[in-house]
Amino acid sequence: MIDRASILADQRILAQLRADYIPVAIDQANQRRQKDTEGDFYRKIASQGPRNDFKNGTTQGFYLASPDGTLLAYTNHRGPDRMLRTLRSARAVEGAEPVKRERTDKRYAFTAPDGAAVVRVNGKVLGGYDEARGKYEAIMHSAISRDNLWITAAEQMALSQGSVPKSLQSRLLRYHLVDNTRGEPPMWRSGEVRSADLQLKDGLLTGRVRFATKSGDRTFDALLRGHLEFKGAKLTRFDLVASGTFKGEGRYTRNAPKKPFPYAVTFRLADMKDVADGVAPQAARGWLDGYLHPERN
Amino acid sequence: MLAILLLLASHPSDLSEAEFQKLHASIVDSKTAAWRTIPWRTSLLDAQKDAAEQKKPLFIWAMDGHPLGCT
Repeated sequence: MIDRASILADQRILAQLRADYIPVAIDQANQRRQKDTEGDFYRKIASQGPRNDFKNGTTQGFYLASPDGTLLAYTNHRGPDRMLRTLRSARAVEGAEPVKRERTDKRYAFTAPDGAAVVRVNGKVLGGYDEARGKYEAIMHSAISRDNLWITAAEQMALSQGSVPKSLQSRLLRYHLVDNTRGEPPMWRSGEVRSADLQLKDGLLTGRVRFATKSGDRTFDALLRGHLEFKGAKLTRFDLVASGTFKGEGRYTRNAPKKPFPYAVTFRLADMKDVADGVAPQAARGWLDGYLHPERN
Repeated sequence: MLAILLLLASHPSDLSEAEFQKLHASIVDSKTAAWRTIPWRTSLLDAQKDAAEQKKPLFIWAMDGHPLGCT
């Protein structure tokens, strides 16, 4: 999220990207593993850069590449001036043809199931940080996280009839009531949901949930309240808030407030006008069945 | 009795409608944020096709987790 508020908030860079580049956003954790044409093309580019251990290491960063796969520049630097110089210096090699998609790795190439509702999920730490040391830390402290929740057609029907299916309850709690404001979060394991009591009556969803890891180093105690509306068995409103006290952090979400802190997550139906509405949920990558049926795992 | 009342006050059993409204309205990612005005593609091969046809370089934002949808 630092990139969004630094490099990608600079109007000079945005103008350069719109005029002279074809911008694409990808999850490199998928791309570097995909055994298909798309993965091959990504690895061709990334193998020319400094981060080319596709089995054991991240390859994240910004890549400028010709359409023939020639790497023009790589940077993971967040200074806008440096990025601007890089953008202005790169020139594409001409004469490339579109790459024909010959293989698709189904572990990574999937979209929401037919009839599924896409719900935008946002989280925010509401207090508890020490004073920020520098602008990047300030960005992190005020960040609003993003993810998508998928609710299947069958689950929508169950909701319209007044019940919260186990699959949806487990998915919503374990994969979406997480603190992902500083990076990729650890999802809650089934045994870490210590108690959960959700009630749905006349479209009002209320409840309380408590999470705790075995060691107790990460916990979340939250109240839920939301309003659901339907047209037939299809959701037309899914406005939900989970708010409570969070404690701890994950391997990739370091530098949480030292003491327990107020944290909230909000949900609303996506309008499907944003390209990000088509992005798979973080917890689904590489394991769609595990995302759709967490109650089995 | 006072201790019980204090305990109940510090552990409310319900999120109020007012609190719901306040949080739901305030915790939402901005639709007008600068980075969202960029015409992102999410398929590298679709982007490669456009780049080849338009004779432009690719700008690949490759992160841990999808940059448009995670964290």
